[in-house]
Amino acid sequence: MEIKDIISSGLLELHATGIASEAESRQVLAWASQHPEVKQELNVIERAMEAYLMSHAIEPAPELKQLVLKKLGSPAGLVTNNGIAPVVKMNSRWKYVAAASIILLLGSAALNMSYFGKMQKAETAYEQKQQELLAANEQLQGVNEDMGVVRNKYSQPVSLDGLPAAPEAAAKIFWMKNTGEVYIDASNLPEAPAGMQYQVWGIVDGKPVDGGMIITTKNEDKFRIHKMKSFGNLKVQAFAVTLETTGGNPTPKGDMYVMGKM
Amino acid sequence: MPETQTYSEEELVLRLRNQDQAAFSYLYDNYAAALNGVIYRMIEDTQLAEDVLQEAFIKIWNNFKQYDDSKGRLFTWMVNITRNLTIDTLRSKGYKKQQKIFRDENSVSGLKDSASGVEKFDTMGLRKQVDSLKPDQKVIIDLAYFSGYTQEEISKEMGIPLGTVKTRMRSAIIELKKMLQ
Repeated sequence: MEIKDIISSGLLELHATGIASEAESRQVLAWASQHPEVKQELNVIERAMEAYLMSHAIEPAPELKQLVLKKLGSPAGLVTNNGIAPVVKMNSRWKYVAAASIILLLGSAALNMSYFGKMQKAETAYEQKQQELLAANEQLQGVNEDMGVVRNKYSQPVSLDGLPAAPEAAAKIFWMKNTGEVYIDASNLPEAPAGMQYQVWGIVDGKPVDGGMIITTKNEDKFRIHKMKSFGNLKVQAFAVTLETTGGNPTPKGDMYVMGKM
Repeated sequence: MPETQTYSEEELVLRLRNQDQAAFSYLYDNYAAALNGVIYRMIEDTQLAEDVLQEAFIKIWNNFKQYDDSKGRLFTWMVNITRNLTIDTLRSKGYKKQQKIFRDENSVSGLKDSASGVEKFDTMGLRKQVDSLKPDQKVIIDLAYFSGYTQEEISKEMGIPLGTVKTRMRSAIIELKKMLQ
């Protein structure tokens, strides 16, 4: 029988699709082993049929594979080669979970450190603000006291004007008519040099009477209204401020900076 | 697709002869769905089809030494084992062959559409090509594969002479080969 007759007989196809009789199949296999062309043709037919069945494939339930592998009596773990066994999938999933939790932990630690730093900064800032608030309160209290002096209905202001030693200088005395208490606003006096202090004088009967030292060790105190010595019932005609050595003198020795009459 | 399988098939066969379970795992991954498709179309019962599929793969594993690669491709051998097991199951369970399914093309395609399970994604293009076969060509292939009929039964079923079964089968496969080239 010619090769082309064998090929066109249709028997190769019947054999490949499994519906040839036993005798026909034996015949086809005999031809195939004798003629490479026939074997080749049979192979092509088989591939075509394979493709046909592949196109009709229906995926079985995924768990079926494990059942089959178990029934082979396979020791566990041998199935992991191509990474399809569910155990492997779980593994890689847990790896991601583990990686994710490490990243989360690191992130959380970094956040903790960042928050700790921020908290410390906030604490410092809080303390600073509290101190500022205390200082402001103190200042406010001082200002309120000053205002109390200024607003007092018995308070009589006396302007002390600059003298040739310090023409730009000025000061203000508040004299309490009811008690004879004396206050001075020294904020317009120039800064006292080291070792020197301003001394207040009341001129009574043409003679200077010591009114006390203006203590301005702290810069901000200079802007406060200072309470001086009380002059009581003394009839003061004028007030003056001189620059004296620290601690003051019984009678004025230094330059007179400001003076004002009642 | 057949091209890539040729190369791996020789190696696959060699490894399976040495009872390599990783190779078996590969075999299952590549052919389980195709074999399940054959079984389901013969049995039309998802659960029973999967029972037969299990049995078929165990038989393929246990009888692998009987496979002779000089007599044909591995897949052809596997299909034959699977189909024989399915026919045995149908007989033992007293199943009636679902003859009317193959009487017209419409119900053949109806069967495919109602088939449960997920079809392999990469077979979709192939399926489209195969579906463009002439109906009488498709019917004869489907009868050969999915009915468990002999040539004589197919001849009777289709009302054509025995010789025509051969020639029609041949022309169907020639058509199929053309599509797959």
